[in-house]
Amino acid sequence: MAVNEEALMWVEKYRPKILDDVVDQHDIVESLKAFMRNPKIMPHLMLAGIPGTGKTTTALCIAHELFGMQNWRNFTLELNASDERGIDTVRERVKDFSRYSRGAFGDVPFALIILDECDQMTGPAQTALRRIMETSSRTSRFILICNQSSKIIEPIQSRCAIFRFSRLDRTAMIEHLKCIAKKENVNISAEAVERIVDYGEGDLRHAINALQTAAAYKEGGAIDEKVVSQVIGEASPKQVQLMLNKAINGDFMEARRVMYDIIGTYGFTGAEIIRQMQRELFKISYIAPEQKAELSNILGEYDYRLTQGANSDIQLSALLAQFAKIGKTLGESN
Amino acid sequence: MVILNKKGFKLPRVEREKFILLIRLGLEYNGQDILFSIKNYNNINQLRDTLQDILKSEVSFTQTCIICSTDFGCSTCKYSESCPTKDLPFSCVCNRCLQPKKVTQQQLLF
Amino acid sequence: MKNDLWVEKYRPTTIKDVIGNEEAKTLFVEWLENKRPTKKAVLLYGPPGVGKTTLVNAAANEYKFRIIEMNASDARSEKAVNRIAVPATSFVGLDKFSSEVKGNMLFMDEVDGIAGNEDRGGVSAIIKIVENTRTPVIMAANDPDLEKLRPLKKVCLLIRFQQARIPLIIMALKKICEQEHIKYEFEALEKIALNSRGDVRSAINDLQGLSEEGKTLTVQDTLALSLRNKDISMYDTLKGYFATKSIMEVSNLLNSSNVEYDDLLMAIGDNMPRRYTDPGELAEAYDFLSQADVFRGRVGTENWHLLKYFYNNLAQAAAVNPESYKSFEFISPPIRVITLFWTKSKRTLLDSICVKIGVQCHVSKYEAKMIFVPYLKLMLQQKKKTNTLIEWLKLTPEEVTFLTGLKMF
Repeated sequence: MAVNEEALMWVEKYRPKILDDVVDQHDIVESLKAFMRNPKIMPHLMLAGIPGTGKTTTALCIAHELFGMQNWRNFTLELNASDERGIDTVRERVKDFSRYSRGAFGDVPFALIILDECDQMTGPAQTALRRIMETSSRTSRFILICNQSSKIIEPIQSRCAIFRFSRLDRTAMIEHLKCIAKKENVNISAEAVERIVDYGEGDLRHAINALQTAAAYKEGGAIDEKVVSQVIGEASPKQVQLMLNKAINGDFMEARRVMYDIIGTYGFTGAEIIRQMQRELFKISYIAPEQKAELSNILGEYDYRLTQGANSDIQLSALLAQFAKIGKTLGESN
Repeated sequence: MVILNKKGFKLPRVEREKFILLIRLGLEYNGQDILFSIKNYNNINQLRDTLQDILKSEVSFTQTCIICSTDFGCSTCKYSESCPTKDLPFSCVCNRCLQPKKVTQQQLLF
Repeated sequence: MKNDLWVEKYRPTTIKDVIGNEEAKTLFVEWLENKRPTKKAVLLYGPPGVGKTTLVNAAANEYKFRIIEMNASDARSEKAVNRIAVPATSFVGLDKFSSEVKGNMLFMDEVDGIAGNEDRGGVSAIIKIVENTRTPVIMAANDPDLEKLRPLKKVCLLIRFQQARIPLIIMALKKICEQEHIKYEFEALEKIALNSRGDVRSAINDLQGLSEEGKTLTVQDTLALSLRNKDISMYDTLKGYFATKSIMEVSNLLNSSNVEYDDLLMAIGDNMPRRYTDPGELAEAYDFLSQADVFRGRVGTENWHLLKYFYNNLAQAAAVNPESYKSFEFISPPIRVITLFWTKSKRTLLDSICVKIGVQCHVSKYEAKMIFVPYLKLMLQQKKKTNTLIEWLKLTPEEVTFLTGLKMF
């Protein structure tokens, strides 16, 4: 495994540099390598799959292999759809980029544009993107990255070769973490590695960050399950948990106060908050599975209403009020 | 808009009935200086209406600054649009006293 | 000292210090000094908080009267009036205990609060007292035009009180700030005074609520000022919305209100927990609001005919349990606006940190927040060998301090 010695976050330090090192996506890698051998035939690509499975890494590896480690930055434009201020900024940046990097590199007749989180783009923005792809197709190839390809409009999908990234295999993740631990001279127990992997929910970046944090806690010492649990506990979404607990215990006012605190500081959308509530709800130990299912259904209902409604504060408040009501009946029946 | 000094203002000659009405509404007449002044404020709205009728113009009365005692009109006040009261009381604070510009200089002297 | 109410602490003790209403003051003093002997009683009238009670107290203090007070909380039936007021008005001075006191002064505050049935005979009892009194009788009312007060007005000298002018209120606030050693931006006092609409009492209360020891009172602080007088139509709509008893009434009210309906939905949502404290009722009311919002979303910019379903759901939310209604103070401005305002600096810092993480680690701001910030915070808290990491991410010292102290979402 090649190591980027300059990087200080391990996620970056141990990010694979060549396609062959990408973790647990062998079929995709084999197909892509055909394009590397003959770049002229490479179409636009779409990499789809759940977070932390190597899509961005794969895109970067393609850039490395096409243009070489020295030059890839000159021929690659990295954009994140969710960070750019609208499609017009994307258009401007693509235009500027294709103007300056028009010359091809070696036998690669195009420059590369990596556009991450495409499924965050609205319908009209995607239509505009499609036009941008058409007008710049002589000089550029796009690698579009998304979680769900179904959220991308059909005309874009049909212009791309789509690669679906599957959830990482647990053993592959364990091996990868062990490999990093070895290179960093970190002594970690097998159980601790498994605990980290399970917490990461298939997102390798989560797992690597947790590993690095645990190593910082126990500098030089051995990392056991206890340390890992401590790290996970402290890195977990405490405010979301607090909000859930307050609501379920019937304290609506406090739950809503915490909700506003989270929204204010982190700028999360209503949907993002509900997604986190959904995740944390199932970790709560003091309510029975049937009741969790009931609460989860309520989450689902309000998740849907959020997409229909206009005001996320009302929907979230209504959701917390429902939880507080059910929480009260739970408290009475216990 | 005519601004009348409440402590003494002149009026054009009026008929006897009007004059009596004005006195009844709270004006006082000083024959020596030929000046009217406001003695009773309870009917100020009617009084103003009558004066507007006589002068054929909108009428307002001067304000007295409770700090420096100068008389001034409301037209220079930046709060006049949001002022909660259009007539009484006739006491206020003039611009100069409200935000004395010299304060900073005085502070520098200390 | 922080617990003292400034309205009490700084209540003027001399007539001269009562702000505004110079004409009323002069008239009142002339009456008190018997220069206007035609009437034995006065009725001070005008909106609340403009200094009626204050003037009476200051005058009593200056002229050495002992105030015998009856206010709205005392029942003003004939019996009650006679029990308290008759003895108070029958003797002139001759106080055995103190030569300082000249005599009694009967003060009946809020006489417009005399209710029809409860205070039966109250008004005529008061008139009888005025006829026979040997000491000053003072009454105060907000609304002198009430039919039931008409007989009273005949026996009283009427003295009108007006709202205080804005510069006068600013002066009063300034004086308090200086005495309390509170630094202020002039514009902040301006904002408070303008918001009070001439009610000195509420202006002073607002000032006390907003100022903090050792901190400069800024214009931004005044953003949290209560809705009370600021937006009358929103205030009235909310008041009507929560107080009405039937869905029909609410619908009529909402149809006639000119408040923008997105603002209205937000304001109702903010205030709903003050209306319903029972979790079941609150959940039910919010469910209607949620449905209303869904219709609002469907209305969009063209399906205006759906608006009636929006209003219908709003109306149902108000009518979940009409019986439990009690009046309450409204929250304003919107909680969301206040929250976003107060947390803006936090959000900006977090954003800039996440952009820096994104540049180095190829992730979006959102992913940086979710997957990197929690761990980075813990790593930086360890304080060992973090310098190179901070340098690599190009974090400023301010960002590092913020991150290590950040509450996890």
